[in-house]
Amino acid sequence: MSKKKSKQTLIERMGNSQIWKSIIRSGIPRTRRQRMHAILGSVFLHLHPARLPKHAVKIGYTWCMGGLSFFLFVVLTITGIMLMFYYRPTVEYAYTDIIDLGEQVPLGIMRELHRWGAHAMVLTVWLHMLRVFMTGSYKPPREFNWGVGVLLMTITLFLSFTGYLLPWDQLAIWAVTVGTNMARATPFLGNEGPGAAMLAIGDINLVHAGSDVRFALLGGRFVGEATLLRFYVLHCIGVPFIAMIFMAVHFWRIRKDGGISGPL
Amino acid sequence: MDALKHAIDLLSAPTISFTLITVLFPFVFPPGDWFEKIHRKLGFWRIWTKPGLYISLVLITLFFIMGYYDPNFNITLTKPDNFPIILLVYSVVICTWLSMYKAYENDKRMDRGEKPAEYNDPDDKVLVWPDLVYIEFIALIIFMVFLIVWSVLVAAPLEEPANPAATPNPSKAPWYFLGLQEMLVYYDPWLAGVIFPGLIIVGLMAIPYITTSSDNLSGFYSFKERRVGIFLFMYGFLILWIFLIFIGTFFRGPNWNFFGPFEYWDPHKLVPLTNVNLSEYFWVKWIKTGLPSNILLRESIGFISVIIYLGVLPVLLAKYVLNDFLKKVGPVKFSFFVFFGLSMLSLPLKMYLRWMFNLKYIIAIPEWFFNI
Amino acid sequence: MSEEKFIPEASVGTPQGKGSGSTMERRSFFKWLSIGWLAFTAATGAFFTVLIRFLFPNVLFEPPQSFKIGYPEEFEIGKVDIRFKKKYNVWIVRNEEGMYALSTVCTHLGCTPNWLDTERKFKCPCHGSGFRATGMNFEGPAPRPLERFAIHLADDGQVIVDKNKNFKFEKGEWGRSESFLKV
Ligand code: HEM
Repeated sequence: MSKKKSKQTLIERMGNSQIWKSIIRSGIPRTRRQRMHAILGSVFLHLHPARLPKHAVKIGYTWCMGGLSFFLFVVLTITGIMLMFYYRPTVEYAYTDIIDLGEQVPLGIMRELHRWGAHAMVLTVWLHMLRVFMTGSYKPPREFNWGVGVLLMTITLFLSFTGYLLPWDQLAIWAVTVGTNMARATPFLGNEGPGAAMLAIGDINLVHAGSDVRFALLGGRFVGEATLLRFYVLHCIGVPFIAMIFMAVHFWRIRKDGGISGPL
Repeated sequence: MDALKHAIDLLSAPTISFTLITVLFPFVFPPGDWFEKIHRKLGFWRIWTKPGLYISLVLITLFFIMGYYDPNFNITLTKPDNFPIILLVYSVVICTWLSMYKAYENDKRMDRGEKPAEYNDPDDKVLVWPDLVYIEFIALIIFMVFLIVWSVLVAAPLEEPANPAATPNPSKAPWYFLGLQEMLVYYDPWLAGVIFPGLIIVGLMAIPYITTSSDNLSGFYSFKERRVGIFLFMYGFLILWIFLIFIGTFFRGPNWNFFGPFEYWDPHKLVPLTNVNLSEYFWVKWIKTGLPSNILLRESIGFISVIIYLGVLPVLLAKYVLNDFLKKVGPVKFSFFVFFGLSMLSLPLKMYLRWMFNLKYIIAIPEWFFNI
Repeated sequence: MSEEKFIPEASVGTPQGKGSGSTMERRSFFKWLSIGWLAFTAATGAFFTVLIRFLFPNVLFEPPQSFKIGYPEEFEIGKVDIRFKKKYNVWIVRNEEGMYALSTVCTHLGCTPNWLDTERKFKCPCHGSGFRATGMNFEGPAPRPLERFAIHLADDGQVIVDKNKNFKFEKGEWGRSESFLKV
């Protein structure tokens, strides 16, 4: 009898301890009030409201796709940082470092997690868009957040694309060669784009292979050393940074627009 | 078996498969009453019932199993980077089905005068802790397990070291861009690689601003409430994006030639690709004078067609076809809607012009890098 | 407690001398305001211009653009020479009259086509463009012929290819003497 009582009090004692209370301010979330406090008092969980309409927590409604997209972004950030410990973005080392990541590093699936995770994120983002469309959730007052979402999708694709070059194998450079050659044809800004020839002073072309958008992206006239470095920096810092800003806006607006959409 | 494989090879040629899907599409996602009637009559609504899903999944699985045991299809099917496409096929089919299934259920409820299934009493809310937090936690764990199993089973691909002098044949963009690469067969890079992607992004962002305010109902699955919107969006998403990715992954072989799924990828397959510009059709073949040397005169027919397509056609549409819609949304929204719609339509249009008349460019001014 | 609050003179401005005086002030205020905004816009613009300029380095570490490829007799008439494809991205074609250097960059999207000797054409693996040995495009999506590079004889009799200068057919540049080496 006394044993049972002491067991109960163990959890309770833990919940009432100074350490626990300092972290989870409201004690063990048992009562309705405490549970709401658990959400509101946590910097991470207070992305959520404290209470939700019933349909919003059903898998069948949101498919959890937005949440999974964000989760994958976190997974990719962590595994990506791990990969950065071994990978050197130079033509000389990139390829061999990738091989070493599979063969010489314990837990040799870090690269797989990162690559398949990236593919999966493209998928979840598309499916998330599909569900938002099919539930009509893009309509007022959520028009702006739909727009932010479209930009997030574009950023996700660009993140994936910049990462594609880093293994520096045949697949990588040719996919990126084909992809970035389109930039060459940008109207006015690409050296083979319509209108580019108009931007000239007398005989001197302002837009040529050494001064167009493609050059700015590649850091050269073709996919080489400078490109690898530029893509590496964009992939590891530049684009994730932009993605995080947009995600913050996205999540903020979900709350401000009245939480998950639902019929009135 | 071989006859079946051969039949599938023939059917999957883009000329046939694309036509088939495009013709069937309005009867699967009927945008109007007449289509709806045929949709009911032909029993297509059964796709959006539970047996419909099971049958689709079984058919897809059979197709992949058949491919797995076929020496030719096996090569493309088991490439590690193509695994996401298989996942894509399953998840898109399941998710499309789920949303349509729920939409039809809701439509039936609303016909009976009930509220949609998502409706809850606003006072009857659930707590995020534990209800949502736990669901997220479970979803997260299941997904992580899935990702780890996938990573253990399938090694990430790594091909030979980069060699700028040897382009692999075929050379493909990452799979999520294969829709764009397919577009490149029909349009020049400045359109397919720059303008159209830009229009896709802007067009998607414009969706909430050009829909009519009368269908201002959101937050539940429904088809009847927004059938035209779903029809257009789904045509773009399922056909012009996902289906083109599928074609690009499995059906495009050496020299970017088309190959049926069970066909051997012969690098020497000869496909006559002699395409003719509109200007040549007009000046050389039709009035037989030879190409004029003035560029603008030479391409005048092309310019006129483009102006008719983007300038005159919208006016005709506004007058005779979409006048109700114009009245509802006003001229500004209408113009944007028609512009994005016609831009989207221009892809299948050019595909058919190419297939039927070997038309290369409508406007061909390589001197200025301006080809349409 | 005093009812009145202390109002410093400066915060109210000067009530006297309205009329022309205050409009003058207003005018000069707007003048300074617009100058301020102009300066701000110009500075911001300059800053972003410099940012963009930053993306274009002054020196490029790329392989030399001009190189010797041997003596003209080493090239067989009627053959497309693919020895320099890997290192310099050029094909050397020799015919009865002379020789020319073709760029190996497909004019569609920059893949490297392959020379198919039996079919006597360059075939691009990416989107199937085909070019004749002359560089003329005849099939697939390529919008224009391959580019040619400047080619001439050095003092020691060797052939020099200079990739700094290229010649485009559609601009009528293949007729220029530098684009073709008469042998
Ligand atoms: C990196 C990509 C993205 C992340 C991490 C993300 C995350 C989320 C999350 C967690 C939600 C909550 C509801 C749910 O899970 O469905 C949500 C809702 C929403 N998302 Fe996204 N999203 C992304 C991309 C997109 C895209 C591509 C679109 C549309 C084009 C979009 C539009 C919306 C809209 C309109 C809502 C509100 C839906 C409602 O209230 O029912 N998001 N997003």
